[in-house]
Amino acid sequence: MKIAVVGCGGMGHVHALEFAKMPNVELVGVCDIVPELAESLAQQTGTSAFTSFDAMMSSVEADIVSVAVPSYLHKELVIQAAAAGKHVICEKPIALNVEDAEEMVRVCEANGVQLFVGHVVRFFPEYAQIKHQIDAGQIGKVGVANAKRVGAHPGNVKSWYKEADKSGGVIVDLMVHDIDFMRWALGEVKSVYGMNKYDDDMDYALVTLVFESGAVANLEAFWGYPGSFHYTAEFAGTAGLVQSDSLKTQSLQIRNSEAEADGGNFVEIPQSPGYRNPYTVELEHFIGCIRDGIEPIVTARDACRALTIAAAAQESIRTGKAVLL
Amino acid sequence: MKGLKVGMISFAHGHAYSYFHSLRQIPEVQIVGIADEVRSRVDSIVGEYGVPYFADYRELLAQDVDAVVICSENAHHAQMAIDAANAKKHVLCEKPLGTTLEEMERMIAACKDNGVQLMTAFPCRYLAAVVRAKEAVERGDIGDIVAIKGTNHGGNPGSWFIDKQLSGGGAAMDHTVHVMDLMNWLLQSKVTEVYAYAATLFQEDLGVDDAGMVHIKFENGVFAALDTSWSRPKSFPTWGDVTMEIVGTKGVISVDGFAQHNDLYSDEAGKGLWTYWGDDMDAYMVKDFVRALLQGEPVPVTGEDGLRSTQVALAAYESVKLGQPVAL
Ligand SMILES: NC(=O)c1ccc[n+]([C@@H]2O[C@H](COP(=O)([O-])OP(=O)(O)OC[C@H]3O[C@@H](n4cnc5c(N)ncnc54)[C@H](O)[C@@H]3O)[C@@H](O)[C@H]2O)c1
Repeated sequence: MKIAVVGCGGMGHVHALEFAKMPNVELVGVCDIVPELAESLAQQTGTSAFTSFDAMMSSVEADIVSVAVPSYLHKELVIQAAAAGKHVICEKPIALNVEDAEEMVRVCEANGVQLFVGHVVRFFPEYAQIKHQIDAGQIGKVGVANAKRVGAHPGNVKSWYKEADKSGGVIVDLMVHDIDFMRWALGEVKSVYGMNKYDDDMDYALVTLVFESGAVANLEAFWGYPGSFHYTAEFAGTAGLVQSDSLKTQSLQIRNSEAEADGGNFVEIPQSPGYRNPYTVELEHFIGCIRDGIEPIVTARDACRALTIAAAAQESIRTGKAVLL
Repeated sequence: MKGLKVGMISFAHGHAYSYFHSLRQIPEVQIVGIADEVRSRVDSIVGEYGVPYFADYRELLAQDVDAVVICSENAHHAQMAIDAANAKKHVLCEKPLGTTLEEMERMIAACKDNGVQLMTAFPCRYLAAVVRAKEAVERGDIGDIVAIKGTNHGGNPGSWFIDKQLSGGGAAMDHTVHVMDLMNWLLQSKVTEVYAYAATLFQEDLGVDDAGMVHIKFENGVFAALDTSWSRPKSFPTWGDVTMEIVGTKGVISVDGFAQHNDLYSDEAGKGLWTYWGDDMDAYMVKDFVRALLQGEPVPVTGEDGLRSTQVALAAYESVKLGQPVAL
């Protein structure tokens, strides 16, 4: 299976490095409008670098295109790839508004190609385990859930994240992970209520989803958190409760005292290492789905639904009302 | 130093036992009587400590008493507090202050008219972490507060708590008020709007809600969400929690009020337990009530404070009915 990656930033690196390691996959090219980024990634992965998507598509034979450009460009590139008859793996969020997302799904269907969206949280072992435990009835019927995902503002490093019309903001970009997971775990959502503080330094949102089942979930997402990135989830049911907290599952701490020389501080790097990271599992799964023609764990429809819920949260923030879906 | 004669009215709410022991530790306090129409609730205490017992609280009010502590079912707070005020006794009343706005206004007015003080029992104000958080907010450590995510989880308390006639409501009534009071105290801003979801999700056929998510908007622009659910299962290692993530323009304060615990694994319990070793908030609260009365100062947490936070719980139920936010 031949794969080309478009976008060689943070996620493009993750994708290309994963594909380069996979035995039955050939990374045929990477492209970025910033030539140095494309070249350095091509070098690391032993493939060819391109500075435009068109140039890459006209020079290499690919079965799959992996889209890791900023979110506002997802639609354009997914549609180009689909029109060229390529299966598409696209980073989340699928798009910035529901109409665009639905058009992407339609175009992929019309061209007979598959579309996978990188809702990677479903592939995190702690979340996969929660889903399994809920499905197995270990906590009974779920009543109340809480989730949290907070970290530094990505816009301080990559400015497009600070432009709402490019990233969608913290709900569409970050909370969408938990929205998708909640929907996976608890089913369809019937109402959405949101609150948000947004300025140049921070984007903080609290969103409550009420599900068809009657269950309720409150999601917290924060860009601009003054601390290290972390996430938590809790599900309480009629027969038990399950919690996960990324700060409590760091199985490895590496502390280096040598750094004390400069600044008097030591360096501390907490980690939660695994032999297969969630991105490996996710991308291998998508490739397997194409190869074997099976339904993915997360479908493009799921990605559209998650975006619909995120959009409802934004509408609720605008109107101050609960939005019924 | 002059002493304080205190009577206790009703042990329906379990906090009464803790308040009793807190009072006993204060040298200036003399516990002059316990009134409870259900004698079995206080039998052991009355017997062990030789405290005079009254079946009818009005008999206790007829004694030489300076102040009373009321821990009855929520629906009885108003009558008891008003009778106490008319008998010129200061009142420390368990939360929620009352079950209707009108009730709480009458309680406040009766105390004012009789020149006695009314304090609402909000012990969480006396958690050391909360006190330090308040100081940090006042120092400006996190800039201006933007939002708060709070939780006050618990298990289903059963008994009269799940009888709406006596409790006035379920989890949203029981568990909105503590953290709501902390938010009012930290923000010093009026609540303008409440949106809530409450339902019976953990125990079928329960007469009241046991799951709740309450959302609050304040006049100063701050917004907050509060999980009030009785969502802790029997297997959970502790009773519940009080937490607040206070998000500011220049930082974040995380309060986990009962984080100070050891992890105990005892075969006898059959499950792991979190054994709290932090300061006893009830003792500090009761001591402050007594101190204020002895020094003739205003009580630190007023009846108005109790009303303000209960009002949010009442608005939450309004909002649940409408499925939309309600203005306050
Ligand atoms: N699944 C996850 O955990 C996760 C994490 C972070 C980001 N993401 C998503 O991945 C996507 C990329 O985010 P990122 O953090 O890697 O961004 P980034 O800014 O690091 O990388 C994007 C790259 O795309 C390049 N680019 C822009 N326009 C292009 C074009 N027309 N053709 C080719 N390259 C182009 C940019 O030069 C940049 O190098 C976003 O949609 C984001 O939401 C997902």
